[in-house]
Amino acid sequence: MKKLQSTSDMEKLRKELLQKRDSSKSCISICSGTGCHAYGSEKVVSAFENELKKQKLEGKVEIKRTGCHGFCEKGPIVVIYPEEICYLQVKIEDVTDIVSQTIKAGKIIDRLLYTDLKTGKKVVHESEIPFYKNQTRLIFGNNRKIESKNIDDYIALDGYNALGKALSEMTPEKVLGEVKKANLRGRGGGGFPAGRKWGSVRNAPGEPKYVIVNCDEGDPGAYMDRSLMEGNPHSVIEGLIIGAYAIGSHEGYVYVRQEYPLAVENTELAIKQAEEYGLLGKDILGSGFDFTIKIHRGAGAFVSGESSALMSAIEGKVGEPRPKYTHTSEKGLWDKPTCLNNVETWANVPFIINKGADWFRNMGTENSKGTKIFSLVGNVNNTGLVEVPMGITLREIIYDIGGGIPNGKKFKAVQTGGPSGGCIPESQLDIPVDFDELGKVGSMMGSGGMIVMDEDTCMVDIARYFVKFLSQESCGKCTPCREGLRHMLRILNDITSGKADEEDIELLEELCEVVKDASLCALGQTAPNPVLSTLKYFRDEYEAHLQGECPAKVCKELIQYYIDPEKCKGCGLCLEKCPTGAISGEKKGVYTVDVEKCIKCGACFEVCNFDAVSKISSKECK
Amino acid sequence: MKKEKAKTHFVGVRLTEEQKRALSKLEKTSDLSKTDILLRGLELLSEYYSLGLDRPPLNAELKKLENEAMHHFQELKRIKRREESVREMVQELRDIDKIIDEYNGDKSALIQILLKIQAKNHWLPKPALMWVSERLDIPMSQILNIATFYKAFSLDPQGEHLVRVCLGTACHVRGGPKILDAAEQFLGVEPGETTSDLKFTLEGVNCLGCCALGPVMMVDDVHYGKLDSSKVGEILSKYRMKEVERSEDKRKGVIPIIHESKPPKSS
Repeated sequence: MKKLQSTSDMEKLRKELLQKRDSSKSCISICSGTGCHAYGSEKVVSAFENELKKQKLEGKVEIKRTGCHGFCEKGPIVVIYPEEICYLQVKIEDVTDIVSQTIKAGKIIDRLLYTDLKTGKKVVHESEIPFYKNQTRLIFGNNRKIESKNIDDYIALDGYNALGKALSEMTPEKVLGEVKKANLRGRGGGGFPAGRKWGSVRNAPGEPKYVIVNCDEGDPGAYMDRSLMEGNPHSVIEGLIIGAYAIGSHEGYVYVRQEYPLAVENTELAIKQAEEYGLLGKDILGSGFDFTIKIHRGAGAFVSGESSALMSAIEGKVGEPRPKYTHTSEKGLWDKPTCLNNVETWANVPFIINKGADWFRNMGTENSKGTKIFSLVGNVNNTGLVEVPMGITLREIIYDIGGGIPNGKKFKAVQTGGPSGGCIPESQLDIPVDFDELGKVGSMMGSGGMIVMDEDTCMVDIARYFVKFLSQESCGKCTPCREGLRHMLRILNDITSGKADEEDIELLEELCEVVKDASLCALGQTAPNPVLSTLKYFRDEYEAHLQGECPAKVCKELIQYYIDPEKCKGCGLCLEKCPTGAISGEKKGVYTVDVEKCIKCGACFEVCNFDAVSKISSKECK
Repeated sequence: MKKEKAKTHFVGVRLTEEQKRALSKLEKTSDLSKTDILLRGLELLSEYYSLGLDRPPLNAELKKLENEAMHHFQELKRIKRREESVREMVQELRDIDKIIDEYNGDKSALIQILLKIQAKNHWLPKPALMWVSERLDIPMSQILNIATFYKAFSLDPQGEHLVRVCLGTACHVRGGPKILDAAEQFLGVEPGETTSDLKFTLEGVNCLGCCALGPVMMVDDVHYGKLDSSKVGEILSKYRMKEVERSEDKRKGVIPIIHESKPPKSS
């Protein structure tokens, strides 16, 4: 690999790469994102390789292992180019058919296509599937076109063009001005304007200055940073180099969560490849600008995603936040000015430089520009990663893209913003999604987790779940967070087991206020949000629990399992599955549950084919 | 010179030249060591005498000899094991040296170094931590502070298979806690514990980052998605019955040599 000395060198390389590529040549692109990988996409890839050999098509057809396509619900996803035929849930058994029918004869295999939930029609092309059709896939769209481990794929798709443009045509001030004008806001949760942060780091006294990519995606229910970092690491690296140029930094870090080994692997490789091309290192593209990147692997602590905690983790210390009398933009990593942004924020930068701030400002709402990637998960038909322009309504995301709630259940709430966010009820579904509007209804944008909950979800249990999560993750440095959360959890445990009264709810509300006002970092300050938002919109559920009833029949202490003698066919499946021998009865007879022995694991409820097992409230039982 | 002498006075028996030749010939033709050959010979002899062909005093002498040989054999085995353990320990420390050298002994790389040791052993043995403390010149208390703060580190040996049940929000609303209950039931341990046969370690984790597949359980590096509680037992019993082998490198723990050097109990 030859080092690129200038932007014209890069242009030449891009032309060569494009010339080498035959656009009419068939290419099988197979999603190798985490979801598809878990479904066994790697086996599908090797099945394709074997099949192509067998049918003597080796070398005539290209195979690409791409990053996450987003539609994880239906993985493994296989897309055949140039026709863009999209096959879903492909198994090893389907591979022979795909090669002999689609690749050789150009015939489409109906059984592997997407079936529209509403019309029942088959959809051939990926972009026509409602899940994709209603998205604006700006940042995330390239994931499916490039092989994650191949820098040439990225360069061929205009990759590193923005870097060339910034280094050769723009001064650092101009780059900074463009990002400020675009009003790019931090995608990691807070929504702080990136341009302003860059400006203050640039102007802060002290050398050297550092830039950091925050890929410590700890929010349960969010995995877009992982998919970007695994699927298209160069887009993040390019953004980081441009940012470093604007800020005047020569050293960068990528902080990756320990749970994401593939992200570490792909980023390491991407950095190596960029160094070989001279896109990192000394005198980048002949501009005289030097920049290097190091990777730091996290070791599993949610609170380390907070900026000051993350910096002390990089220093090799315990990742605890510190009071921010002085901002990290002035004294951050090793007490030097440091700019930390989220993966998605950095990935936005090349687009702003390439297409201009005005183009970027065309998307989104008044104060939130551009697009945002959400992980749409939970009780929704089409789970996966979706990228939408800011300002789209929650209803559009859940129903048009997500395809609504499965199994004919009713929608109850959508939880956004991770553990710091809140639950939004049906009545608020038509608000536009942006940083400010979500805040108004008691939630927040957060890193973009969007968990849909159906009528079988208990909102008190959800509040308890988040408080439990946060009390475990609290680093324990400040008292309000450490002790406050512990007591909130105790009260919520009492409520979900039917041992609380009205006064406990009042105390809970009071504790919420204290924790919110007095905690040191954002973890504690936002921790009461799940409780406050569920209290605001679902107070009736809290009150039902006080009366000893869980409306959604989730809280174990308040329910009993019961077998309806009318419906029971006496098949004995529940008896077989019961781990504690609480079910008794004879084949062809009627089975009964022994309440004393039952541990309420729900195994009988899940296996019954005749809906004979039901959950009833303990109160009713007595 | 000393060694030569030891050979001729084997287990307290003075051998004639002829016997010595026969012994070395036997040793060459079979895979057995001298001790083994001798033990076997003694066994045959004892069988011979037990048929009533012996006289009592001879039998007693035989017994004594046999005990002596046995003791010698045990001692030799123990020395070998201890030697092996020490070699292993030294190797462990050398491996740690290699990891530290990768980071040029940089103090700020402590977390990265511990992560690598954890990945290699699947836990952080105390000698390893002491050595890191020595090499990086960081007090042990600070190292333990970090090793207990981050969830990736474990100060106890882990089971052969690591079972992680996702309790992230998306999995929670799809029944993740029930999956954990089922795994607890099957394995008979609480989250964070290891089964007494050191086969499984069970963990409840906050997000495995593949929320679309929820509820998810991971065994070692294999994901099992869209589970219900009745499938958990099926999957885990496959591992228990060794139908599924670990795909990656075998988990290795440091042998606690202290137990090895205890004298054998006389019974």
